Amino acid sequence: MKPVPENNRLYKRAHWLITLRWIAIVGVVFGTYICNRILAIELQVSALYSIAILLAGYNLAMLLLLNRLNKGEKELTCREVKKIINFQISADLLLLTALLHFSGGIENPFVFYFTFHMIIASILLSLRESYFQATFAVLLFGLLVLLEYLQFIPHYCLRGFVSHCLHRDGPYLVGTFFVFATALYLAVYMTSYIAVRLRRAEQAYKQANLMLEEKDRIKDEYVLRVTHDIKGHLATIQSCLRVVVNRIVGPLDAQHTDLISRAHKRTIKLTHFVKRLLQLTQMRLSNNLEMEPFSLNNTVHSVVEMVKTKAEDKSITLKSNVEPSADRIFGNQFSIEEMLTNLLLNSIKYTPESGTVEINTTNNGEGIVVEVADTGIGIPEEEQKQIFDEFYRASNARDIERDGTGLGLSIVKHIVNRHGGKIEVESKNGCGTKFRLTLLKEKGGHRGLISSKT
Amino acid sequence: MENPKILIVDDDIDHTKAIQVILESNHYSVVTASDRNEGMEKAKLEKPDLFILDVMMSTWHDGFEMSRELKKDPQFKDIPILILTAVKERTGLGFKSTAGDSEWLPVDGFLDKPVEPENLLSEVTSILSGKS
Repeated sequence: MKPVPENNRLYKRAHWLITLRWIAIVGVVFGTYICNRILAIELQVSALYSIAILLAGYNLAMLLLLNRLNKGEKELTCREVKKIINFQISADLLLLTALLHFSGGIENPFVFYFTFHMIIASILLSLRESYFQATFAVLLFGLLVLLEYLQFIPHYCLRGFVSHCLHRDGPYLVGTFFVFATALYLAVYMTSYIAVRLRRAEQAYKQANLMLEEKDRIKDEYVLRVTHDIKGHLATIQSCLRVVVNRIVGPLDAQHTDLISRAHKRTIKLTHFVKRLLQLTQMRLSNNLEMEPFSLNNTVHSVVEMVKTKAEDKSITLKSNVEPSADRIFGNQFSIEEMLTNLLLNSIKYTPESGTVEINTTNNGEGIVVEVADTGIGIPEEEQKQIFDEFYRASNARDIERDGTGLGLSIVKHIVNRHGGKIEVESKNGCGTKFRLTLLKEKGGHRGLISSKT
Repeated sequence: MENPKILIVDDDIDHTKAIQVILESNHYSVVTASDRNEGMEKAKLEKPDLFILDVMMSTWHDGFEMSRELKKDPQFKDIPILILTAVKERTGLGFKSTAGDSEWLPVDGFLDKPVEPENLLSEVTSILSGKS
Protein backbone atom coordinates (compact mmCIF):
# COMPACT_ATOMS: atom_id res chain seq x y z
CA MET A 1 0.00 0.00 0.00
CA LYS A 2 1.33 3.40 -0.93
CA PRO A 3 1.07 6.28 1.54
CA VAL A 4 -1.53 8.93 0.65
CA PRO A 5 0.18 12.25 -0.09
CA GLU A 6 -0.30 14.90 2.59
CA ASN A 7 -2.06 17.37 0.28
CA ASN A 8 -4.52 14.73 -0.85
CA ARG A 9 -5.32 13.81 2.72
CA LEU A 10 -5.81 17.41 3.79
CA TYR A 11 -8.06 17.93 0.80
CA LYS A 12 -10.22 15.02 1.90
CA ARG A 13 -10.38 16.45 5.44
CA ALA A 14 -11.51 19.79 4.04
CA HIS A 15 -14.34 17.88 2.37
CA TRP A 16 -15.06 16.10 5.61
CA LEU A 17 -15.45 19.48 7.35
CA ILE A 18 -18.06 20.39 4.75
CA THR A 19 -19.97 17.18 5.47
CA LEU A 20 -19.83 17.85 9.20
CA ARG A 21 -21.14 21.35 8.58
CA TRP A 22 -24.21 20.02 6.75
CA ILE A 23 -24.95 17.92 9.82
CA ALA A 24 -24.41 20.95 12.08
CA ILE A 25 -26.83 23.00 9.96
CA VAL A 26 -29.51 20.34 10.30
CA GLY A 27 -28.76 20.29 14.04
CA VAL A 28 -29.22 24.07 14.30
CA VAL A 29 -32.54 23.99 12.46
CA PHE A 30 -33.97 21.05 14.41
CA GLY A 31 -32.48 22.25 17.71
CA THR A 32 -34.02 25.67 17.27
CA TYR A 33 -37.37 24.17 16.36
CA ILE A 34 -37.43 21.71 19.27
CA CYS A 35 -36.17 24.19 21.90
CA ASN A 36 -38.57 26.84 20.77
CA ARG A 37 -41.73 24.84 20.01
CA ILE A 38 -41.48 21.83 22.30
CA LEU A 39 -39.33 22.95 25.21
CA ALA A 40 -40.83 26.47 24.99
CA ILE A 41 -37.49 28.26 25.41
CA GLU A 42 -37.50 31.83 24.24
CA LEU A 43 -35.22 32.18 21.19
CA GLN A 44 -34.55 34.63 18.38
CA VAL A 45 -35.92 32.08 15.96
CA SER A 46 -35.73 34.12 12.74
CA ALA A 47 -32.16 35.22 13.45
CA LEU A 48 -31.12 31.60 14.16
CA TYR A 49 -32.75 30.33 10.94
CA SER A 50 -31.10 33.14 9.00
CA ILE A 51 -27.70 32.09 10.35
CA ALA A 52 -28.48 28.50 9.36
CA ILE A 53 -29.23 29.68 5.80
CA LEU A 54 -26.03 31.72 5.80
CA LEU A 55 -24.12 28.63 6.96
CA ALA A 56 -25.67 26.57 4.18
CA GLY A 57 -24.76 29.16 1.56
CA TYR A 58 -21.19 29.43 2.79
CA ASN A 59 -20.88 25.65 2.95
CA LEU A 60 -22.06 25.31 -0.63
CA ALA A 61 -19.55 27.95 -1.72
CA MET A 62 -16.77 26.00 0.03
CA LEU A 63 -17.84 22.79 -1.69
CA LEU A 64 -17.80 24.44 -5.12
CA LEU A 65 -14.45 26.07 -4.39
CA LEU A 66 -12.85 22.77 -3.40
CA ASN A 67 -14.23 20.94 -6.42
CA ARG A 68 -13.09 23.68 -8.74
CA LEU A 69 -9.58 23.72 -7.30
CA ASN A 70 -9.33 19.96 -7.70
CA LYS A 71 -10.22 20.19 -11.38
CA GLY A 72 -7.60 22.87 -12.01
CA GLU A 73 -4.41 22.27 -13.95
CA LYS A 74 -2.08 22.49 -11.01
CA GLU A 75 -2.08 20.13 -8.10
CA LEU A 76 -3.15 21.75 -4.83
CA THR A 77 -0.34 22.33 -2.37
CA CYS A 78 -0.59 21.59 1.35
CA ARG A 79 -0.41 25.30 2.08
CA GLU A 80 -3.34 26.11 -0.15
CA VAL A 81 -5.52 23.43 1.44
CA LYS A 82 -4.46 24.55 4.92
CA LYS A 83 -5.47 28.11 4.05
CA ILE A 84 -8.92 26.86 3.14
CA ILE A 85 -9.21 24.83 6.34
CA ASN A 86 -8.05 27.82 8.40
CA PHE A 87 -10.63 29.98 6.72
CA GLN A 88 -13.36 27.39 7.33
CA ILE A 89 -12.56 27.09 11.02
CA SER A 90 -12.39 30.88 11.53
CA ALA A 91 -15.70 31.35 9.73
CA ASP A 92 -17.26 28.59 11.82
CA LEU A 93 -16.09 30.24 15.04
CA LEU A 94 -17.58 33.55 13.93
CA LEU A 95 -20.92 32.02 13.00
CA LEU A 96 -21.06 29.93 16.17
CA THR A 97 -20.54 33.14 18.18
CA ALA A 98 -23.39 34.75 16.24
CA LEU A 99 -25.60 31.72 16.94
CA LEU A 100 -24.78 31.96 20.63
CA HIS A 101 -25.52 35.69 20.68
CA PHE A 102 -29.07 35.05 19.47
CA SER A 103 -29.60 32.16 21.85
CA GLY A 104 -28.62 33.45 25.27
CA GLY A 105 -24.89 34.19 24.95
CA ILE A 106 -23.09 32.93 28.02
CA GLU A 107 -26.24 31.23 29.30
CA ASN A 108 -26.18 28.79 26.42
CA PRO A 109 -24.31 25.55 27.28
CA PHE A 110 -23.50 25.07 23.59
CA VAL A 111 -20.50 27.38 24.17
CA PHE A 112 -18.48 24.23 24.75
CA TYR A 113 -18.97 23.22 21.13
CA PHE A 114 -16.07 25.57 20.45
CA THR A 115 -13.88 22.75 21.72
CA PHE A 116 -14.62 20.63 18.63
CA HIS A 117 -13.14 23.29 16.40
CA MET A 118 -10.02 23.32 18.52
CA ILE A 119 -9.61 19.56 18.25
CA ILE A 120 -10.04 19.60 14.48
CA ALA A 121 -7.63 22.52 14.11
CA SER A 122 -5.02 20.79 16.26
CA ILE A 123 -5.16 17.63 14.18
CA LEU A 124 -5.13 19.27 10.77
CA LEU A 125 -3.16 22.45 11.24
CA SER A 126 0.17 23.47 12.70
CA LEU A 127 0.59 24.18 16.39
CA ARG A 128 0.84 27.93 15.77
CA GLU A 129 -2.29 27.98 13.66
CA SER A 130 -4.18 25.98 16.28
CA TYR A 131 -3.26 28.39 19.08
CA PHE A 132 -4.18 31.23 16.80
CA GLN A 133 -7.64 29.69 16.27
CA ALA A 134 -8.02 29.16 20.05
CA THR A 135 -7.11 32.80 20.70
CA PHE A 136 -9.52 33.91 18.02
CA ALA A 137 -12.32 31.87 19.66
CA VAL A 138 -11.52 33.22 23.13
CA LEU A 139 -11.46 36.80 21.82
CA LEU A 140 -14.71 36.39 19.92
CA PHE A 141 -16.53 34.89 22.86
CA GLY A 142 -14.94 37.35 25.31
CA LEU A 143 -16.03 40.23 23.13
CA LEU A 144 -19.57 38.86 22.97
CA VAL A 145 -19.77 38.48 26.73
CA LEU A 146 -18.24 41.89 27.35
CA LEU A 147 -20.46 43.71 24.88
CA GLU A 148 -23.54 42.03 26.31
CA TYR A 149 -22.35 42.88 29.84
CA LEU A 150 -21.78 46.50 28.90
CA GLN A 151 -25.13 46.46 27.08
CA PHE A 152 -23.56 47.73 23.85
CA ILE A 153 -25.44 44.94 22.17
CA PRO A 154 -28.69 43.41 23.40
CA HIS A 155 -28.71 40.25 25.45
CA TYR A 156 -31.36 37.68 24.56
CA CYS A 157 -32.18 35.88 27.76
CA LEU A 158 -32.79 32.14 27.52
CA ARG A 159 -36.11 32.33 29.33
CA GLY A 160 -37.51 28.88 29.88
CA PHE A 161 -34.02 27.49 30.37
CA VAL A 162 -32.40 29.67 33.03
CA SER A 163 -34.37 31.20 35.90
CA HIS A 164 -32.87 34.68 35.48
CA CYS A 165 -30.58 36.46 33.08
CA LEU A 166 -26.89 35.80 33.76
CA HIS A 167 -25.18 38.29 31.44
CA ARG A 168 -24.53 40.80 34.22
CA ASP A 169 -23.70 38.22 36.86
CA GLY A 170 -19.99 39.07 37.41
CA PRO A 171 -18.68 35.95 39.21
CA TYR A 172 -20.61 33.63 36.86
CA LEU A 173 -19.22 35.45 33.81
CA VAL A 174 -15.64 35.36 35.05
CA GLY A 175 -15.87 31.73 36.14
CA THR A 176 -17.49 30.48 32.94
CA PHE A 177 -15.17 32.52 30.75
CA PHE A 178 -12.13 31.25 32.65
CA VAL A 179 -13.19 27.61 32.22
CA PHE A 180 -14.08 28.26 28.57
CA ALA A 181 -10.70 29.80 27.73
CA THR A 182 -8.66 27.18 29.57
CA ALA A 183 -10.75 24.36 28.04
CA LEU A 184 -9.94 25.61 24.54
CA TYR A 185 -6.21 26.04 25.17
CA LEU A 186 -5.97 22.69 26.94
CA ALA A 187 -7.81 20.98 24.10
CA VAL A 188 -5.33 22.44 21.62
CA TYR A 189 -2.37 21.53 23.79
CA MET A 190 -3.44 17.92 24.39
CA THR A 191 -4.64 17.18 20.90
CA SER A 192 -1.60 18.67 19.19
CA TYR A 193 0.67 16.85 21.61
CA ILE A 194 -0.71 13.54 20.36
CA ALA A 195 -1.23 14.65 16.75
CA VAL A 196 2.36 15.85 16.38
CA ARG A 197 3.69 12.54 17.65
CA LEU A 198 1.39 10.57 15.40
CA ARG A 199 2.46 12.66 12.44
CA ARG A 200 6.12 12.06 13.29
CA ALA A 201 5.56 8.32 13.60
CA GLU A 202 3.78 8.34 10.25
CA GLN A 203 6.64 10.27 8.72
CA ALA A 204 9.02 7.61 10.00
CA TYR A 205 6.86 4.87 8.46
CA LYS A 206 6.81 6.70 5.16
CA GLN A 207 10.57 7.05 5.28
CA ALA A 208 10.96 3.37 6.07
CA ASN A 209 8.59 2.47 3.26
CA LEU A 210 10.55 4.58 0.79
CA MET A 211 13.75 2.95 1.95
CA LEU A 212 12.26 -0.49 1.46
CA GLU A 213 11.13 0.42 -2.04
CA GLU A 214 14.61 1.67 -2.82
CA LYS A 215 16.14 -1.53 -1.45
CA ASP A 216 13.75 -3.54 -3.57
CA ARG A 217 14.81 -1.59 -6.63
CA ILE A 218 18.49 -2.17 -5.88
CA LYS A 219 17.76 -5.87 -5.48
CA ASP A 220 15.98 -5.93 -8.83
CA GLU A 221 18.89 -4.19 -10.53
CA TYR A 222 21.26 -6.65 -8.99
CA VAL A 223 19.17 -9.60 -10.16
CA LEU A 224 19.03 -8.03 -13.61
CA ARG A 225 22.81 -7.70 -13.86
CA VAL A 226 23.50 -11.15 -12.51
CA THR A 227 20.93 -12.95 -14.62
CA HIS A 228 22.04 -11.06 -17.67
CA ASP A 229 25.62 -12.13 -17.17
CA ILE A 230 24.53 -15.70 -16.54
CA LYS A 231 22.46 -15.62 -19.69
CA GLY A 232 25.47 -14.63 -21.80
CA HIS A 233 27.53 -17.55 -20.52
CA LEU A 234 24.61 -19.92 -20.87
CA ALA A 235 24.01 -18.90 -24.46
CA THR A 236 27.60 -19.70 -25.30
CA ILE A 237 27.51 -23.07 -23.52
CA GLN A 238 24.27 -23.91 -25.29
CA SER A 239 25.58 -22.92 -28.71
CA CYS A 240 28.77 -24.97 -28.23
CA LEU A 241 26.88 -28.04 -26.99
CA ARG A 242 24.44 -27.69 -29.84
CA VAL A 243 27.27 -27.96 -32.34
CA VAL A 244 28.40 -31.22 -30.74
CA VAL A 245 24.88 -32.66 -30.30
CA ASN A 246 24.11 -31.95 -33.96
CA ARG A 247 27.29 -33.81 -34.86
CA ILE A 248 28.51 -30.86 -36.88
CA VAL A 249 32.08 -31.57 -35.76
CA GLY A 250 31.83 -35.27 -36.45
CA PRO A 251 30.28 -38.52 -35.20
CA LEU A 252 29.72 -39.33 -31.51
CA ASP A 253 29.21 -42.68 -29.84
CA ALA A 254 25.92 -43.38 -28.04
CA GLN A 255 27.20 -42.68 -24.54
CA HIS A 256 28.71 -39.34 -25.51
CA THR A 257 25.52 -38.37 -27.28
CA ASP A 258 23.43 -39.27 -24.28
CA LEU A 259 25.52 -37.31 -21.79
CA ILE A 260 25.97 -34.26 -23.97
CA SER A 261 22.27 -34.24 -24.86
CA ARG A 262 21.42 -34.24 -21.16
CA ALA A 263 23.76 -31.32 -20.55
CA HIS A 264 22.31 -29.51 -23.56
CA LYS A 265 18.73 -30.00 -22.39
CA ARG A 266 19.57 -28.66 -18.96
CA THR A 267 21.15 -25.54 -20.43
CA ILE A 268 17.98 -24.99 -22.46
CA LYS A 269 15.88 -25.20 -19.30
CA LEU A 270 18.23 -22.94 -17.41
CA THR A 271 18.22 -20.41 -20.25
CA HIS A 272 14.44 -20.44 -20.20
CA PHE A 273 14.41 -19.81 -16.46
CA VAL A 274 16.94 -17.00 -16.68
CA LYS A 275 14.99 -15.39 -19.52
CA ARG A 276 11.82 -15.45 -17.45
CA LEU A 277 13.57 -14.02 -14.43
CA LEU A 278 15.10 -11.28 -16.55
CA GLN A 279 11.75 -10.45 -18.04
CA LEU A 280 10.00 -10.18 -14.70
CA THR A 281 12.79 -8.12 -13.17
CA GLN A 282 12.80 -5.81 -16.13
CA MET A 283 9.10 -5.26 -15.87
CA ARG A 284 9.42 -4.50 -12.18
CA LEU A 285 12.13 -1.95 -12.89
CA SER A 286 10.60 -0.14 -15.84
CA ASN A 287 8.31 2.67 -14.79
CA ASN A 288 6.38 3.24 -17.94
CA LEU A 289 4.57 0.84 -20.14
CA GLU A 290 3.45 2.34 -23.44
CA MET A 291 -0.29 2.00 -23.63
CA GLU A 292 -2.55 2.40 -26.62
CA PRO A 293 -5.92 1.17 -27.81
CA PHE A 294 -5.79 -2.06 -29.81
CA SER A 295 -7.85 -5.04 -30.89
CA LEU A 296 -8.05 -7.74 -28.24
CA ASN A 297 -9.72 -10.21 -30.56
CA ASN A 298 -6.88 -10.05 -33.09
CA THR A 299 -4.45 -10.58 -30.23
CA VAL A 300 -6.42 -13.60 -29.02
CA HIS A 301 -6.39 -15.04 -32.55
CA SER A 302 -2.66 -14.65 -32.96
CA VAL A 303 -1.98 -16.11 -29.50
CA VAL A 304 -4.20 -19.10 -30.26
CA GLU A 305 -2.36 -19.61 -33.56
CA MET A 306 0.93 -19.49 -31.70
CA VAL A 307 0.07 -22.19 -29.16
CA LYS A 308 -1.99 -24.36 -31.54
CA THR A 309 0.73 -26.90 -32.26
CA LYS A 310 1.42 -27.39 -28.55
CA ALA A 311 -2.25 -28.24 -28.01
CA GLU A 312 -2.33 -30.53 -31.05
CA ASP A 313 0.69 -32.41 -29.73
CA LYS A 314 -1.43 -33.44 -26.73
CA SER A 315 -4.69 -33.81 -28.72
CA ILE A 316 -6.16 -30.98 -26.67
CA THR A 317 -9.15 -29.16 -28.15
CA LEU A 318 -8.36 -25.47 -28.23
CA LYS A 319 -11.43 -23.24 -28.47
CA SER A 320 -11.69 -19.50 -28.68
CA ASN A 321 -14.81 -17.43 -28.43
CA VAL A 322 -14.54 -13.71 -28.94
CA GLU A 323 -17.31 -11.19 -28.55
CA PRO A 324 -17.17 -8.29 -31.03
CA SER A 325 -18.14 -5.79 -28.30
CA ALA A 326 -15.13 -6.90 -26.25
CA ASP A 327 -12.65 -5.96 -28.92
CA ARG A 328 -11.12 -2.59 -28.20
CA ILE A 329 -8.97 -2.44 -25.11
CA PHE A 330 -6.41 -0.03 -23.75
CA GLY A 331 -3.00 -1.38 -22.85
CA ASN A 332 0.36 -2.57 -24.05
CA GLN A 333 -0.29 -5.08 -26.81
CA PHE A 334 3.04 -6.85 -26.45
CA SER A 335 2.54 -7.55 -22.73
CA ILE A 336 -1.10 -8.57 -23.14
CA GLU A 337 -0.02 -11.03 -25.83
CA GLU A 338 2.69 -12.34 -23.54
CA MET A 339 0.22 -12.70 -20.69
CA LEU A 340 -2.37 -14.60 -22.73
CA THR A 341 0.32 -16.86 -24.18
CA ASN A 342 1.54 -17.63 -20.66
CA LEU A 343 -1.97 -18.50 -19.50
CA LEU A 344 -2.75 -20.69 -22.50
CA LEU A 345 0.58 -22.53 -22.39
CA ASN A 346 0.04 -23.11 -18.68
CA SER A 347 -3.40 -24.55 -19.32
CA ILE A 348 -2.08 -26.80 -22.08
CA LYS A 349 0.80 -27.94 -19.89
CA TYR A 350 -1.43 -28.94 -16.99
CA THR A 351 -4.29 -30.44 -18.98
CA PRO A 352 -4.10 -34.18 -19.66
CA GLU A 353 -4.32 -35.56 -23.22
CA SER A 354 -7.60 -35.02 -25.13
CA GLY A 355 -8.78 -32.35 -22.68
CA THR A 356 -10.13 -28.92 -23.57
CA VAL A 357 -8.63 -25.44 -23.25
CA GLU A 358 -10.81 -22.43 -23.91
CA ILE A 359 -10.29 -18.69 -24.19
CA ASN A 360 -13.30 -16.37 -24.18
CA THR A 361 -13.70 -12.61 -24.23
CA THR A 362 -16.78 -10.76 -23.03
CA ASN A 363 -17.77 -7.21 -22.27
CA ASN A 364 -19.35 -6.85 -18.83
CA GLY A 365 -20.10 -3.15 -19.20
CA GLU A 366 -17.37 -1.99 -16.84
CA GLY A 367 -14.46 -3.70 -18.53
CA ILE A 368 -13.34 -6.45 -20.83
CA VAL A 369 -13.27 -9.91 -19.33
CA VAL A 370 -10.97 -12.62 -20.67
CA GLU A 371 -11.46 -16.13 -19.39
CA VAL A 372 -8.97 -18.93 -19.88
CA ALA A 373 -10.46 -22.24 -18.79
CA ASP A 374 -9.17 -25.79 -18.96
CA THR A 375 -10.09 -29.30 -17.94
CA GLY A 376 -6.71 -29.81 -16.35
CA ILE A 377 -5.41 -30.96 -12.99
CA GLY A 378 -6.68 -27.88 -11.14
CA ILE A 379 -5.07 -26.06 -8.25
CA PRO A 380 -5.56 -27.25 -4.66
CA GLU A 381 -7.76 -24.72 -2.89
CA GLU A 382 -5.33 -24.00 -0.08
CA GLU A 383 -2.62 -23.13 -2.62
CA GLN A 384 -4.66 -20.80 -4.80
CA LYS A 385 -3.57 -17.69 -2.92
CA GLN A 386 0.10 -18.39 -3.52
CA ILE A 387 0.12 -19.29 -7.20
CA PHE A 388 0.95 -15.73 -8.25
CA ASP A 389 3.94 -15.53 -5.90
CA GLU A 390 7.35 -15.56 -7.50
CA PHE A 391 8.91 -19.04 -7.67
CA TYR A 392 5.82 -20.67 -6.14
CA ARG A 393 4.61 -23.85 -7.84
CA ALA A 394 1.49 -25.77 -6.86
CA SER A 395 2.22 -29.19 -5.41
CA ASN A 396 0.38 -31.07 -8.18
CA ALA A 397 2.11 -28.95 -10.85
CA ARG A 398 5.49 -29.98 -9.45
CA ASP A 399 4.48 -33.61 -9.83
CA ILE A 400 3.75 -33.11 -13.52
CA GLU A 401 6.75 -30.98 -14.43
CA ARG A 402 9.73 -30.88 -12.15
CA ASP A 403 11.59 -28.01 -13.75
CA GLY A 404 9.00 -25.25 -14.16
CA THR A 405 10.22 -21.77 -13.34
CA GLY A 406 7.40 -20.70 -11.03
CA LEU A 407 7.53 -17.31 -12.73
CA GLY A 408 4.88 -17.57 -15.46
CA LEU A 409 1.91 -16.55 -13.32
CA SER A 410 3.97 -13.88 -11.51
CA ILE A 411 4.58 -12.30 -14.91
CA VAL A 412 0.87 -12.56 -15.71
CA LYS A 413 -0.09 -10.95 -12.41
CA HIS A 414 2.46 -8.20 -12.87
CA ILE A 415 1.15 -7.37 -16.34
CA VAL A 416 -2.45 -7.31 -15.08
CA ASN A 417 -1.46 -4.96 -12.25
CA ARG A 418 0.38 -2.65 -14.62
CA HIS A 419 -2.80 -2.42 -16.65
CA GLY A 420 -4.95 -1.58 -13.63
CA GLY A 421 -6.86 -4.82 -14.16
CA LYS A 422 -7.47 -7.76 -11.92
CA ILE A 423 -7.14 -11.50 -12.15
CA GLU A 424 -9.12 -14.15 -10.31
CA VAL A 425 -8.77 -17.88 -10.26
CA GLU A 426 -11.48 -20.46 -9.92
CA SER A 427 -10.34 -24.02 -9.57
CA LYS A 428 -10.91 -27.35 -7.92
CA ASN A 429 -8.23 -29.95 -7.43
CA GLY A 430 -8.54 -32.34 -10.35
CA CYS A 431 -11.43 -30.50 -12.00
CA GLY A 432 -9.84 -27.83 -14.16
CA THR A 433 -8.94 -24.20 -13.70
CA LYS A 434 -10.45 -20.95 -14.86
CA PHE A 435 -8.54 -17.66 -14.86
CA ARG A 436 -10.65 -14.55 -15.22
CA LEU A 437 -8.93 -11.30 -16.23
CA THR A 438 -10.63 -7.94 -16.21
CA LEU A 439 -9.02 -5.27 -18.37
CA LEU A 440 -9.72 -1.63 -19.13
CA LYS A 441 -11.76 -0.70 -22.16
CA GLU A 442 -10.43 1.53 -24.90
CA LYS A 443 -11.10 4.79 -23.02
CA GLY A 444 -8.84 4.77 -19.99
CA GLY A 445 -11.34 6.77 -17.94
CA HIS A 446 -10.66 10.28 -16.72
CA ARG A 447 -9.58 10.59 -13.17
CA GLY A 448 -9.38 13.71 -11.03
CA LEU A 449 -6.04 15.39 -10.58
CA ILE A 450 -5.47 14.54 -6.96
CA SER A 451 -6.91 11.06 -6.95
CA SER A 452 -4.70 9.95 -9.84
CA LYS A 453 -1.60 10.89 -7.90
CA THR A 454 -1.49 7.91 -5.62
CA MET B 1 32.54 -19.56 -57.36
CA GLU B 2 34.53 -19.15 -54.17
CA ASN B 3 32.97 -19.85 -50.77
CA PRO B 4 31.29 -16.76 -49.33
CA LYS B 5 33.38 -15.12 -46.66
CA ILE B 6 31.80 -14.16 -43.33
CA LEU B 7 33.29 -11.84 -40.72
CA ILE B 8 32.13 -12.47 -37.15
CA VAL B 9 32.74 -9.63 -34.68
CA ASP B 10 32.00 -10.68 -31.12
CA ASP B 11 33.91 -10.25 -27.87
CA ASP B 12 32.70 -13.66 -26.68
CA ILE B 13 35.32 -15.79 -28.42
CA ASP B 14 33.75 -19.04 -27.22
CA HIS B 15 30.45 -18.23 -28.85
CA THR B 16 32.30 -17.13 -31.97
CA LYS B 17 33.98 -20.51 -32.06
CA ALA B 18 30.64 -22.34 -32.03
CA ILE B 19 29.26 -20.25 -34.89
CA GLN B 20 32.51 -20.55 -36.79
CA VAL B 21 32.31 -24.36 -36.62
CA ILE B 22 28.70 -24.36 -37.83
CA LEU B 23 29.46 -22.04 -40.72
CA GLU B 24 32.70 -23.70 -41.76
CA SER B 25 31.07 -27.12 -41.78
CA ASN B 26 28.69 -25.64 -44.35
CA HIS B 27 31.54 -24.43 -46.51
CA TYR B 28 31.57 -20.81 -45.57
CA SER B 29 34.91 -19.21 -45.05
CA VAL B 30 35.02 -17.48 -41.66
CA VAL B 31 37.12 -14.64 -40.29
CA THR B 32 36.76 -13.50 -36.69
CA ALA B 33 37.44 -10.36 -34.68
CA SER B 34 36.87 -9.72 -31.02
CA ASP B 35 36.19 -5.99 -30.97
CA ARG B 36 35.04 -3.13 -33.10
CA ASN B 37 38.50 -1.83 -34.07
CA GLU B 38 39.77 -5.24 -35.03
CA GLY B 39 36.49 -5.78 -36.86
CA MET B 40 36.97 -2.66 -39.01
CA GLU B 41 40.56 -3.61 -39.76
CA LYS B 42 39.62 -7.14 -40.81
CA ALA B 43 36.74 -5.79 -42.85
CA LYS B 44 39.15 -3.69 -44.91
CA LEU B 45 41.63 -6.50 -45.19
CA GLU B 46 39.36 -9.48 -45.90
CA LYS B 47 36.47 -7.85 -47.78
CA PRO B 48 33.84 -10.28 -46.44
CA ASP B 49 30.47 -10.99 -48.08
CA LEU B 50 28.56 -10.83 -44.80
CA PHE B 51 29.07 -9.36 -41.34
CA ILE B 52 27.80 -11.05 -38.19
CA LEU B 53 28.00 -8.53 -35.34
CA ASP B 54 27.34 -8.97 -31.67
CA VAL B 55 25.43 -6.01 -30.27
CA MET B 56 26.98 -5.97 -26.88
CA MET B 57 30.71 -5.68 -27.01
CA SER B 58 32.65 -3.20 -24.86
CA THR B 59 29.62 -0.93 -24.62
CA TRP B 60 26.15 -2.32 -24.94
CA HIS B 61 25.51 -0.90 -28.39
CA ASP B 62 28.91 -1.33 -30.06
CA GLY B 63 27.40 -3.61 -32.69
CA PHE B 64 24.83 -0.96 -33.60
CA GLU B 65 27.54 1.68 -33.87
CA MET B 66 29.66 -0.53 -36.06
CA SER B 67 26.79 -1.35 -38.38
CA ARG B 68 26.15 2.37 -38.85
CA GLU B 69 29.83 2.96 -39.54
CA LEU B 70 29.89 0.16 -42.13
CA LYS B 71 26.82 1.42 -43.94
CA LYS B 72 28.31 4.90 -44.20
CA ASP B 73 31.47 3.54 -45.82
CA PRO B 74 31.07 3.29 -49.63
CA GLN B 75 33.32 0.24 -49.57
CA PHE B 76 30.94 -1.72 -47.32
CA LYS B 77 27.55 -0.12 -47.72
CA ASP B 78 26.21 -2.94 -49.87
CA ILE B 79 27.47 -5.78 -47.68
CA PRO B 80 24.72 -7.30 -45.56
CA ILE B 81 24.84 -7.30 -41.77
CA LEU B 82 23.38 -9.88 -39.41
CA ILE B 83 23.07 -8.78 -35.79
CA LEU B 84 23.57 -11.36 -33.09
CA THR B 85 22.18 -10.47 -29.73
CA ALA B 86 21.54 -11.61 -26.21
CA VAL B 87 20.22 -8.22 -25.21
CA LYS B 88 16.66 -8.39 -26.44
CA GLU B 89 15.40 -8.73 -22.88
CA ARG B 90 17.71 -6.06 -21.63
CA THR B 91 16.65 -3.30 -23.97
CA GLY B 92 13.07 -4.47 -24.29
CA LEU B 93 13.15 -3.42 -27.94
CA GLY B 94 11.22 -5.35 -30.49
CA PHE B 95 14.24 -5.72 -32.74
CA LYS B 96 12.47 -7.75 -35.39
CA SER B 97 10.07 -4.95 -36.21
CA THR B 98 12.88 -2.43 -36.59
CA ALA B 99 15.03 -4.57 -38.89
CA GLY B 100 13.67 -2.88 -41.99
CA ASP B 101 14.12 0.60 -40.59
CA SER B 102 17.34 1.47 -42.36
CA GLU B 103 17.44 4.97 -40.91
CA TRP B 104 17.61 3.82 -37.34
CA LEU B 105 19.50 0.61 -37.73
CA PRO B 106 20.79 -0.34 -41.15
CA VAL B 107 20.98 -4.12 -40.77
CA ASP B 108 19.57 -7.06 -42.68
CA GLY B 109 18.67 -9.51 -39.93
CA PHE B 110 18.66 -10.38 -36.27
CA LEU B 111 19.48 -13.57 -34.45
CA ASP B 112 19.03 -14.26 -30.78
CA LYS B 113 21.76 -15.92 -28.73
CA PRO B 114 21.95 -18.89 -28.23
CA VAL B 115 21.83 -19.63 -31.92
CA GLU B 116 20.23 -22.75 -33.35
CA PRO B 117 22.43 -24.02 -36.20
CA GLU B 118 19.45 -24.39 -38.55
CA ASN B 119 18.26 -20.83 -37.91
CA LEU B 120 21.72 -19.43 -38.36
CA LEU B 121 22.27 -21.25 -41.63
CA SER B 122 18.88 -20.43 -43.09
CA GLU B 123 19.25 -16.76 -42.15
CA VAL B 124 22.75 -16.59 -43.64
CA THR B 125 21.66 -18.37 -46.82
CA SER B 126 18.64 -16.16 -47.33
CA ILE B 127 20.58 -12.94 -46.73
CA LEU B 128 23.39 -13.96 -49.07
CA SER B 129 21.05 -15.17 -51.79
CA GLY B 130 18.96 -12.01 -51.53
CA LYS B 131 22.16 -10.12 -52.11
CA SER B 132 23.50 -11.86 -55.18
